[in-house]
This record gives sequence, structure tokens and C-alpha cells, in this order.
Amino acid sequence: MRSLAKINRRDALRLAVSGLMATAALRVPRSLAAGTINFADIGVGDPGGDWSKFIAASGYDVNLVSMGNAPSAVLNVLVAGGGQGTYDIINIVGGMQKPLVENDLVVPIDTSRIPNWGKNTYLDEFLAKGKPGFQFIGFNDKIYGVPTVLQGDSFAYLPEKTGPLDSYAALFDPKWKGYVALEDNYTTAAQKTGLYLKNAGLAKINNPDDMTKEEFKTVIDFLIEQKKAGQFRVIWNSFEQAVNLITSKEVYVIDCWEPMVFVAKSKGIDAVYADPKEGYLLWAMAAYLVNNPNRSEEQTAADYALLDFMMGGWYGAKITGLRGYMTNPQAPEYAKANPSEFSAEDAAKVEQITANVRRKFEKGGTWQNRWPTEVEFYESDWARFKAA
Amino acid sequence: MQWRARPWRYFARIGFLSLPLVFVSAFLVVPLVLTVIISFWERVGMKFRPAFSLASYLTVIEGARLKVLERSLIVAVEATALALLIAYPIAYFLARKASAYAARIVLVLFTIPFLINYIIRNVAWTSLLGRNGTINTVLMTMGLTDGPVDWLLYSDFAVLIGLISSYMPFMVFPLVLSIGAIDRQYLEASALLGASPFTTFCRILLPLSLPGIFAAIIFGFVGAFGESAVPIIMGGVGYELVGNTITSSMDVLNYPLAAALSSIVVMIMLVLMLSWYLIFDMRAFLGKILEWRS
Repeated sequence: MRSLAKINRRDALRLAVSGLMATAALRVPRSLAAGTINFADIGVGDPGGDWSKFIAASGYDVNLVSMGNAPSAVLNVLVAGGGQGTYDIINIVGGMQKPLVENDLVVPIDTSRIPNWGKNTYLDEFLAKGKPGFQFIGFNDKIYGVPTVLQGDSFAYLPEKTGPLDSYAALFDPKWKGYVALEDNYTTAAQKTGLYLKNAGLAKINNPDDMTKEEFKTVIDFLIEQKKAGQFRVIWNSFEQAVNLITSKEVYVIDCWEPMVFVAKSKGIDAVYADPKEGYLLWAMAAYLVNNPNRSEEQTAADYALLDFMMGGWYGAKITGLRGYMTNPQAPEYAKANPSEFSAEDAAKVEQITANVRRKFEKGGTWQNRWPTEVEFYESDWARFKAA
Repeated sequence: MQWRARPWRYFARIGFLSLPLVFVSAFLVVPLVLTVIISFWERVGMKFRPAFSLASYLTVIEGARLKVLERSLIVAVEATALALLIAYPIAYFLARKASAYAARIVLVLFTIPFLINYIIRNVAWTSLLGRNGTINTVLMTMGLTDGPVDWLLYSDFAVLIGLISSYMPFMVFPLVLSIGAIDRQYLEASALLGASPFTTFCRILLPLSLPGIFAAIIFGFVGAFGESAVPIIMGGVGYELVGNTITSSMDVLNYPLAAALSSIVVMIMLVLMLSWYLIFDMRAFLGKILEWRS
């Protein structure tokens, strides 16, 4: 075997040329693609980089670009960043229709162009017009978002420290004083608090989904009282930070997302995602079609094909397996029926996750409101809580 | 006229010298002016329109954000003062006592924090300072405390640790340059005239190193005042500095408010810079740097 030291300049050049040719060869399918769909996503909608099924079916490549989930991040990308001319589809946590539609950034979805739309029974069950879930995909009676992921959030706890917990009251129980963490998000933490206060009869809150200024102020006053009593250890801001709080046992009770518990469990921590008697904070991700008047009809057709693909069984099963969220009703069946693509273990995982999230939706709770009527008051009063 | 003799060379020089001016104007002055202008704009629904409205500034004054601004100022002053107390002796030692070789090595070591992602750096602190972190484990193992010391993390103390560790290295460099550029003969003359080391420090070293101290203060204060990662990672329950509240107001598309907060921050920084410029001769300071390097 020749040693690396014996490779001369000519060999090196030959190697470099071969490498370039190989790279070029690998890129051929992309250059032969009919076009590219620019797909902005918050990190949940990526099926492990594998778009081959869609490319094979549509002839279009998918260029996945990461984007933030905060309203400002989304709007900054679409308006200031010239994203309207760049992106075709954005896949974010839904409920953002008001700012998106009022700024002419997205267009209504023609559901007749999505064959899988009719096969998605979750639409009728949870997201239909007249149901609270509609605000995740619709606005002013029109559909703007294609549901890609559904989930119900509660809180996690360490049973070795707390024993079993089944109420949001645990977040405010003096027994865990100084060992509780909340998410730094007024549409999750404050809404869960509102749900708790309403159910416990501690405050008059008509609708935790969309609180009035007075109701929200009551929630914040309660949180400030708790904060001053030393109930909370920290307010977390990122996935990794929350996982770290659980795995390091820095806190025993934490308002968080279920996948954080999956990660903690994979690290050997006995953490439980609570099944609170008050119900869950329900939410859905929505894929929006970006308003680009210069988009060709062919490109629009390809975009609809991608939206349809995202409502299909393979994509749904893949995302459920990777991210731990429920996607669409075809996903568990697809995973079970295609052992060459999904192992029995993976198929069981998809089925179990789907059943678990379905149960949450059946139990109910409150739907997260990403853009409540008094959103600015929410934001400024949340700042009051943080500054207190 | 110079340009008539060698016009090409003359205009090339003008062009070359104007590059920094163009760069600073395009990427600093124009965005800052725009920020100030937008801070006076009016919000109409979700959009905003040009106007001269003080509404955003009133929101800052009347709401919880004034508290955040006040806290940011206090924390930045505290962190800068503490960092200066740590950085000055280090800089003095490096400039006056250590060999040139050793000083260079230590200064290179001080650049390492700049090479590590600030989030990783701050998260590493949480592993050290947490309830089950290294420091608490050591304290409990040694029997010094019965339980974990809670205030090590998610507290004012933790924020100060995070800010000092982030910005103190920035402060060492101008201090080393400033102290190193002081003529040794002044110090020797002071000693020969019978002044104690403390008197020499107070009356010779400290005044002559003031430009470096002020530069260090600016480096530390500007960083600490605008910091947003440290309070999030190490600050505990809603510990918010002005950088965080600017981001938060942008989340609800309140750009005029975000611009007003940013303008206030920029104004405070400008006052600092201006006073540095007026009190000290910056060219003399830069001259000392060149002298020290040669």
C-alpha cells in the first residue's frame, strides 16, 4: 500500500479532478430536476434530509432552509429578508395567520389541489371550522395552513423526587419551591397557568385561549407572587437548556415539551411527561404557501405536490418517528404496511406516539394561541413578570 | 496643486482613504440613523408608518422596560467595575513584571474565550455552578455545606460571573498597551524622590494609564450592557437585560419600540465614546500602542 507521503503532485491533482468529477456526478440528479422548492422550516419538518420519494414523484428538488419560529423571525425572513421572492413554503407552528395574512405574506390554500387533504380525518376531528383548532390553519373562514404536526403539551417531572403528579398545580406547589422551571413564552407558560387558575377556581378566566387584558393581568400577578415566593428556579429558553435542567436534576417539575422527556429518558433519566387533569396545551404546525405573485403555475403545482406529500403516510411516519409528534392518520398504517421502509420497532413507535397524542386531543385542554387578540399586552405584561 | 501634478495618484489616495468612511457610513451610521428615525414612527395595526411620535419612548418610560434598562445599567456598571479590578493587576503584571515572551503567551491565552462559542461557554458555567455541578459537589464532599448552594447559578452572582468571564479578557488588552507604554523613567524618578509604591501608583501609574482604563471600561461596558445570552442562560427567573427586551418587543412586531430601546442604548454608548474622545487624546493613545509594539 502506498503511503500518503508518497503521493506526488500529479497524483494529488488526479485525485482532486476525480473528486470534482464524482461530486459533479452526484449533483447530476439535482441539475436534472425540473426545479427546486424552497422550503423554510423550524427544524421539525425535515425528514432526515431524505426527499428522494418526493423528488422521484414530482421531479422537483427540495431546498430546506432553517428559520426561527418566533413571529418576528418569520416576518423578518419574509419581509426584510426578501423571503417572499425566495421561499415557496414555510412550515412553522400555526396560528400565525393574522400577521401573515394582514401583511399579504401567505395565500389561501386550494385544498382541492391536495389529494391527501380529504384523507386527513384529524381535520374534521380537531381543526375544522368552528373548532378552536381551526385558528391554527384558518383565518377569516379561509384555509391558509396545511397541518403537518399535532401535539399536546403539559409538564414533566422526576417521579423519584415528587411521586406521581397529575395537575398543573405542581408547578405552583410550595413543596417544590425553587425546583420548578417555566418556559419563557407567554403563549405557553402563561396560558397553562390560565388553564390551571380557571380549573382550580382561583381566577375568573373565561377563555385561557384568548384572555382579556384583565384576565391576563391576573395570571401575571399570580406568577409574580409565585416568583417572589421563590417558586421558580429558572425560565428556560432553548430545547437544550430544558433538557439539561431535567437531566442535571436542577429542577423536579418543568413546564416543557414532550420530546425533551424523550431525550432525557434516552440519557437514562426517569422523567415523566404529565397527564394533567386540566388537559393539555394543544397546538399544530402549519405549512403556509408564501405569497409570491411572480411564481409560475408549474412552480405552484410543485408546491402543492409538496404540501400533499407532507400530508402523506411516508412523510408523516418519518416525522413522527424522528420528532415524536403526531402527524396524519395515514402515518401509523403506512409504517406498519411498509416493513422495508420502517422496521417493526419504528412502526410500533409511530403507532404509540400517534395514539398518545390522539388521547391528548381527545382529553382536550386549551389550544395555544400564537397571536391572541391582546398579544401586545401579553408581551408587555410578560416583561413585567420577568422584570419583577 | 497636488492633483494636477499626479492626478491618478491623488484620486487613488482619496478613494482609498474614503473607503473606511464609506464602510462606516453604509454599515453603521445609516442603520443607526434609520433606527432613530423608526423609533419615532407610529404603529397602525401590525404595520407602522412614518411620523413623529414619542409613543415608543413613553412605553419605555412607563412600562416594565424602564426597570430592565435600569437593571442593565447597574449590572453593566457592576460587571465592568469588577472586571476592571481583576483585569488591571493582570495587565500590570503582564506589562511590567512578566517577560515579553510570557506576556505574549498569556495574552494569546486570553484570546481563547473569543474562539469558543459564547453559548457553549455560558452553558459550561451552568455545569460548574449548578446544584449538582462540580463546585457544589466539591463543597458538599468537603463538608463545607450541608446542601447545594443555590445562589451560585440562576442569580445576580451567576450573571456577574458570566459577564466578567465574557468581557474581562477584552479589557486586559488596552490596559496592557496603556501600562506598557508608560515611560519607566517616570516610575523610577518617583521612587528616587521618595514616593512609596502606593503613591507612585496613585500619582503616576494610574493617571498615565487612564486612557487604557477608559478604553477597557468601554470594551467591558458596551459588551455587558448589550448582552443577551448570559442573562438567558445564567440569570434565572426572567432575568432580562436590555438586549432581551429589544428581542421580545420585536416578537410582537413592535419595531418602533425596539428601535426606541436600541436608540437609548446607542445614545448611552455614544455619550461614553464622546467623553473618551473629549477627555483623552485618542491619537496619543494609538501612538502609544504603536510605540509599545515597536
